[in-house]
Amino acid sequence: MATITLNNLTYTYPEASVPVLDHVNLTLPAHQFTLLTGPSGTGKSTLLRLMTGLIKLPADHGQITYDDQDLATLAATDRAGQVALMFQNPNQQFAMDTVQNELVFALENRQVDPQVMTNRINEALDFVGIRDLQDRQINHLSGGEKQKVALAVIVAMNSDVILLDEPFASVDPAARASLLRRLIKLRDDAGKTIILADHDLTDYETLVDQVVQINADRSLSSLPKPQWPHFFAAFSAQAASDHHWPLPKNAPNALFDLQQVQLQQGSFVLLQPTDLQFLDHRNTLITGPNGSGKSTLFEALVRLNPYTGQINYHGDNIQKLKAKRYARQIALLFQDAETQFLNITVAEELAQSQKYAYGDYFTTDRIQQALTQLNLAGRDEQVIYTLSEGQKKKLQILSMLIMQSPVLLMDEPLKGLDLKSVDALVTLLKTTQAATQQTLIIISHQLTGLTSLIDYHLRFDQHQLQYQEVAP
Amino acid sequence: MNPSIKLLLLFIIALEISFTTIISLNIALVILATLYLLWRRTSLKTLGWLLIVPLLPAIGLWSTQYINGTGDNAQMAWVLFTRIYAFVFTGATFTLTTDILELADALEQNWHLPAKFAYGVLAAYNLVPKIQHEVKVIRMAGLMRGQTLSFWSPKLYFKAILVSINWSQNLAQAMQSHGFVEDAPRTHYRHVPLRASDWSILVIGIGLLQIGAFAIPWR
Repeated sequence: MATITLNNLTYTYPEASVPVLDHVNLTLPAHQFTLLTGPSGTGKSTLLRLMTGLIKLPADHGQITYDDQDLATLAATDRAGQVALMFQNPNQQFAMDTVQNELVFALENRQVDPQVMTNRINEALDFVGIRDLQDRQINHLSGGEKQKVALAVIVAMNSDVILLDEPFASVDPAARASLLRRLIKLRDDAGKTIILADHDLTDYETLVDQVVQINADRSLSSLPKPQWPHFFAAFSAQAASDHHWPLPKNAPNALFDLQQVQLQQGSFVLLQPTDLQFLDHRNTLITGPNGSGKSTLFEALVRLNPYTGQINYHGDNIQKLKAKRYARQIALLFQDAETQFLNITVAEELAQSQKYAYGDYFTTDRIQQALTQLNLAGRDEQVIYTLSEGQKKKLQILSMLIMQSPVLLMDEPLKGLDLKSVDALVTLLKTTQAATQQTLIIISHQLTGLTSLIDYHLRFDQHQLQYQEVAP
Repeated sequence: MNPSIKLLLLFIIALEISFTTIISLNIALVILATLYLLWRRTSLKTLGWLLIVPLLPAIGLWSTQYINGTGDNAQMAWVLFTRIYAFVFTGATFTLTTDILELADALEQNWHLPAKFAYGVLAAYNLVPKIQHEVKVIRMAGLMRGQTLSFWSPKLYFKAILVSINWSQNLAQAMQSHGFVEDAPRTHYRHVPLRASDWSILVIGIGLLQIGAFAIPWR
C-alpha cells in the first residue's frame, strides 16, 4: 500500500564533485509497475539504494517518503517490511549457505513466528517455482536461479514495495520471462508496488504502468503514454536479429581442439564428453541458458577449472604448456569486471596493459582515442572501484584489448552496458581486430549490436555444445 | 551435544594439557578422541590424515627438545610429541563433527552473543573456499596481464584484501536488505537446546581430566 514520493532529492557521492541525482521530484503510485531507464552510470542503482535506505540520504538533501512517512524516520526494523531490493549482481545478496537457511535468516530478522515459517518458506518457493532448490548451496546455483531465490526471499518477507536493480543482467531469456511473470502476478494479486531499473527494454511495453527516464541533467521524468510506441520501437529495431551464421568446417590446425571434454560442477555434469574445434582468426559466439556451463568452459580453457578429456591449443595439450606462456596467449575477460583489475587508478590500469602488451597496436594516442570513444576520457586519476558498473566494464574491456593476446575469451562483455556504449564498444572491437587479427570467443546473452562481429555461433544447452546457424 | 559446551570443554582440555606434562593423559585424550570420531563415522582416510599431517611438526618439536632440552629431556620430548597429537585430535572432534551454523545459533541463543558476531563468524567460515578460488583467479588475472604474482607479492594481498573488504561490505548490505538490523530482536527457527546432559558432560569431562592429570598420572 505505498505511494512513494521523491522530494527534491539530491545525492552526491562522497568522493565525487557533481551530484549523481540532482533535485529529483517524482511520485510513484502504489500497485503500479514502473520501469526506470537511462544509460548506464546515470544513477539508477544509487536511486534504488537510496530508496531502500542502503545508502543513507544526508539531511537537507531532500526526502523519500512512503505514504507520507519519511524513510529516514522509519524504524530500521520496519524497513524490510516496507521495501525490498533485488540486486544487479546475483552473487551479492545472500548471507547464508543454502536457500533454506537464507529464507530462515530473512524471516528471523522480520521476527516471524517460527511456527508459521515453514509454511511461508514453502509458499514463497512454490510461488517462484523453485521448491527443488530449497536445500541447494546458493554458491552452486546459476545467476538466473540466484535471482529466483532472491525473489523468493522478497516474497517471503512480504515487502510492500519491490525494487529491482537491473535484475536480468546475467539471466537468460527463459528465466527472465519467468521472473517477469511472477512480478506481474505480485502486482495484480498481491497489490505490490514494483520499480524495476533496466536498460534492455524488451517485453516491457505491455507490462508496465509507468516509464521513468533519468535525464542528462540528472533529473527524472515520467514518459507520457503516447510516446511509448515510438520509445520502445526505437529499442526493438536495434534489438532485432534473425542473423544466420555459417557452420564451420573442421580445420587441420584449429585454435582449440576439444577431445572428449567433460565439464562438471561438483557432481553435476555440465557438458557431456564433447569433440569440438574453435577456429583461429574467427569470432565465435557462445549462447545458452545461464547455468548451462558457459563460464565453466572458459575457466577450463584457461585452466582455472578441472575437466576430463583433452584440450589442445594449436595442437599442444594445454596442461603441458607453461602457465606463464599460456596466459600470455589466452586472456580471459572475467564476467565480473573488478576481478580483472590489478591497480588502483584508471591510468595505472591502462599503463600496466600498455607495458606488458603483446603487440604495439595500442599507442598512447590510440588509447586516448579509445577512451574518448567509450566516454571514459578525463578519469585518469579516478579510483577504479568508484566507477559505475558500466564504466568498469568498458575500462576492463579496453585494458584487455590493449594486451593484444592472440586469443581473448570474453564472458558477457556487454553486461550492464547501455546501447550507446555497446555500439562504441563493437566499433572499437572491429577497428582493433582489423589491424591485429585477434581471435575472440564471446559468451553473451545480449546479441543487440553484437551480431555483425560474429563468424560462428555455438549453442551450449542440455549438456551439449554444438555449432548452430541461428541464435534463439 | 550443544556445540558451545563442546567448544568450552575442548578449550579447557587444551588449556590444561598446555600446562601439564603427562604423556599418559595426552595419549588417553588421543584414544578417546579417536573413539569419538569413529563413533561419529569419521572415515579412516580422514583419521589417517590426522595422524600424518602433524607428524612433521611433532618430530621437529621432539628432536628440538631431545637435543637441546635440559633436565629430563627424553620425557619432555615425548610430552611435546604427544601433546601435538592431543591438540589435533581433540580439535578434530569439534571441527569434523560440528555444524558451524549450529555453533552460531548456540552462541546467539544460549550465550546471547550479538547476532552480528554470530553471523560474522558464520560468514567468515563460508568465505574460506571462495577465498581460495579467488586467490587462484587473482594470480591468473596477473599472469594474463604479464605479471607473476607470487605468494609474497604485495599486489596479491592488496587485491585479496580489497576483495575481502568488498565482500564484507556486500555481505553487510545483503544482510541489511534481508531485514537484518543490528541489536534488534529476532525470532529463532532452529532451536539449540542447552540441556542438563550438556552440563553433565562438561562437569564429568572436566572431572575425568583432573583424575587423569592428578590422580593417576602414570608418567
